[in-house]
Amino acid sequence: MVAQIWTAFEPATAGDTGVELDNLLHLEPGRIIGLVGHPGFGLTRVGLSLLAAQAGRNSIAYLDVRGWLCPVAAWESGVDPDQLVIVRCNDPVRWGRALTALLEGVGWIYAEIPRGVKEAQLRRIASLVRSRRSSLILRPVQGDLPSGVAFLRLQAREVEWEGTAAGHGRLTIRSISFTASGKATRGMSRQIDLEDNGTDALRVVSGLAVAPPGRAAG
Amino acid sequence: MWYPDWPLRRPDAPPDNPAQAVGEDNRVLAINALAANAGIRHGMRRGEAEAICPTVFTIASDPAIEAVRFEPVAQAIEELIPTIELAAPGLVFAPIAGAVKYYGGEAALVNLVAKEIDSVAGPGFKIGLAAGPFAAQRAAELAAPVYIVEDDASFLASLDVAALGSEELAATFRWLGITTLGALAELPRDALTTRFGPLGTQAHRLARGLDRAPQSRVIPPDLDVEERFSPPLENLEQAAFISRAMAHRLVSELRSHGAAPHRVEVAAEAADGTMRVRTWRNRDPFDEASLSERVRWQLCAWLDSARFRSGPGIRGGVVRLRIAPADVSDRGRQLALTQDARSVAEAERAFIQTQAIVGLDGVVQARPKGGRTPGDRVAWYRWGEPPPEVGDDAPWPGRIPDPTPTLVPAEAPVLEVEWDAGMPTRVRLGSRWVEVISWAGPWRDIGRWWEGIGPCDRYQLVTSAGAFLCEVREGKAYLAGVYD
Repeated sequence: MVAQIWTAFEPATAGDTGVELDNLLHLEPGRIIGLVGHPGFGLTRVGLSLLAAQAGRNSIAYLDVRGWLCPVAAWESGVDPDQLVIVRCNDPVRWGRALTALLEGVGWIYAEIPRGVKEAQLRRIASLVRSRRSSLILRPVQGDLPSGVAFLRLQAREVEWEGTAAGHGRLTIRSISFTASGKATRGMSRQIDLEDNGTDALRVVSGLAVAPPGRAAG
Repeated sequence: MWYPDWPLRRPDAPPDNPAQAVGEDNRVLAINALAANAGIRHGMRRGEAEAICPTVFTIASDPAIEAVRFEPVAQAIEELIPTIELAAPGLVFAPIAGAVKYYGGEAALVNLVAKEIDSVAGPGFKIGLAAGPFAAQRAAELAAPVYIVEDDASFLASLDVAALGSEELAATFRWLGITTLGALAELPRDALTTRFGPLGTQAHRLARGLDRAPQSRVIPPDLDVEERFSPPLENLEQAAFISRAMAHRLVSELRSHGAAPHRVEVAAEAADGTMRVRTWRNRDPFDEASLSERVRWQLCAWLDSARFRSGPGIRGGVVRLRIAPADVSDRGRQLALTQDARSVAEAERAFIQTQAIVGLDGVVQARPKGGRTPGDRVAWYRWGEPPPEVGDDAPWPGRIPDPTPTLVPAEAPVLEVEWDAGMPTRVRLGSRWVEVISWAGPWRDIGRWWEGIGPCDRYQLVTSAGAFLCEVREGKAYLAGVYD
């Protein structure tokens, strides 16, 4: 199943269009998308859905620092079992070498970043991504990304789930609110709301308001 | 030359009991005389063999160790016939035209070879001589212990269609009234191709003693792959990595030309300048996995025989290793329409390099299988190895509904949860408590008391920081998954 992304909103400022938002959430060759936020906000599924939508039949590498990735969730997001290769490494030095090796031949990569990876290494990796024209999603397990590394930085702010009550039902639809920033948003911070039914659909429900400053996430 | 019971030639195989060795596919690879007398045959499924002879002792074949043990036998044959080809530990092919002239006839040569290998590995061998490898192997199967085929066509004509090595194909031929290779050879080749495709063409060629289709592609020269090592390669684990990387390079390069190797020459140079060369052959084209296995077995055999002084081997480690295709066909792997050979080759190279950095167990894939929990529904396997055969057609009552948590800890850590009359109210995440906004469950799993696994209840807990899968066992809560 391929993740579908579509927009359903009205432009809040002159000149903004739905096409812009579609292009925003697009993994382009040579560019990095950074996902920032604690586990639980849905960032992994967002990343996997983006990869599933654009990698086609090519291999997708997932650099798993914690060793926690459940492939079932990846398959639900549209990644084929034969496509997905998981690399487990939590040592920051070997992590850098492994990611460099992957970038030499794999075009679609999701990499968790372990603690202890230096900023200089991340910038070298960004340079390699540009030269190899790979598509990379970076997700620090703790903290943030250095500014300028990611072309598009998505920071999770809020998450809500539907479907559960006091002991009834089950998880169905998740609404996630992000702040988007980076060169992709031309230096402005923008708020993006996504809906995710947990399987194959990722829906952008709004995304043009400029995020108010100082609002805490989660 | 064939030792049918080679996988059984090991200290833990009982000499006075029927014994069999089975391969990874659980089919019988080797039997001793007692097992053969009991009715067990090569190629049988393990269950079938054990039903025929319930007292048979079963061993899992270990080709790497068998190849190391067979190295002295291969070297003994090489002293008489310089160009030998190994198909598997215990099975050697050798073109003998030159050796026959040198030693003065087939019988003289056979006697010399028999004496030599008997002195190294003892009796139990079989030798078949024929014009082609397929007929020679069939002759070896019938040998007691030598069978020299005068005329391949008439010899093959008398063989049952089971000699083709495919149960399914043989059953279909019998159903069509074709019971011997002679009857098969008389059929028009085009009719077999139309009905059975490439398998039918191949069967027809074998039945007529024409072992393989002539390769129809012009293969560019200089496809050898070579590596030099400083310091010399002596470590068996390093040998495994190197074998895989070099096999991948060779097969990928040939694949990009639409070709695949059937015979490969492995050459290693020792630190003292000694060269060792061995050819491996395969009935089907080598892929990365089968080729890297052969290269690894050969390196291990050379390094071990030098280490334990059981043969010349490679002393002081390997300083140069070369793998060259000795024979190719145009049966390269078919890629999907949306893939291109270069991208696939580049990705595979990247994964091999990554394996060298994080270890073989650090690069994995998974296949879906049945189960109740997210962890149960995954069958893991190392990248580059064949995926496990798993299915998911059974119902799983009590299974956690979709969506699946994206993050599932390998060992579920303790989760601090506050409860009020059986309802979760607060969860501790890190250093802070967060309120449970809503929840679903429990999904009860009664466990497997006969294995000591007690019951547990699973809940979906929703907080302002996200949703979590919580498992409660013996009154304690654990984090079973994060919906990230």
